[in-house]
Amino acid sequence: MTVTPEPNERFREQVLPELEVLYRVALHLTGAPAVAEDLVQDTLVKAFRGFDRFDGRHPRAWLLTILRNTRSNDLRRRRPDLLDAEAADRIPARGPDGEADATAAQAVAGQLTPQVRQAIAGLSSKHRAVLVLVDIDGLTYQEAADLLEVPVGTVMSRLHRARGRVRRQLVSVGFLEVDG
Amino acid sequence: MRWPRRSATPLPTQPSCEQVGAVLQAYLDGELGVQDTGRVVEHLAHCERCRIEVDITQRVIDSIRRQRPELAPELHDRLTAMVDELAPPTLDSGN
Repeated sequence: MTVTPEPNERFREQVLPELEVLYRVALHLTGAPAVAEDLVQDTLVKAFRGFDRFDGRHPRAWLLTILRNTRSNDLRRRRPDLLDAEAADRIPARGPDGEADATAAQAVAGQLTPQVRQAIAGLSSKHRAVLVLVDIDGLTYQEAADLLEVPVGTVMSRLHRARGRVRRQLVSVGFLEVDG
Repeated sequence: MRWPRRSATPLPTQPSCEQVGAVLQAYLDGELGVQDTGRVVEHLAHCERCRIEVDITQRVIDSIRRQRPELAPELHDRLTAMVDELAPPTLDSGN
């Protein structure tokens, strides 16, 4: 197959700005840095193969959809039982990739302020998933909803509650001062 | 790219504090539609209580977002190399 330079450049323009978000989401989905890199690579390969069918709108959403489907296919092959779990549990405190989870958790949590880290860790998996996707990974409500396969309204309500709980926790430990 | 969205139920012309509170986070996240954003801004202009709530909520969000870890340069290079391998840059791409 011969690829002309022009599609190559268009692919690069669409994909390069999204690499960081793709990796962050992959890391949270897998819980393991090496697996996350593999997932990003597989996603990029599929994106490149299907690029001629991409309409050029919302590249992040397009890439996240490919990433989510790639991850689901991986799980179906390796751990079919996981597909019965809630979608939010695909972004667990401890992911399905075994002991590598600890490395991933340290890679992320090691840079967190302890009080904030504890507040986030204290959330339920559903609330933590939304908060991490929106606030840490930088997804829009719609992108988080698509990834978790829940309505946007559910993302909004879970985010509202998650931030509220983080707020109360930060106030209770004196990390956040609230007057009045 | 953000998708500015409209609320399921648009805010009334003069929303109450409770109605503004319900969409405050979407407002701060840039997820409200233009009309609702304008109504929240108008409300905040004359409601100190809601301005305080905005300030506190923004500080909570900022404290969470500051936890976003930087990607290691080596990792960024590896990710970029994946794209380079699939779609090599053309000579006149400038990058």
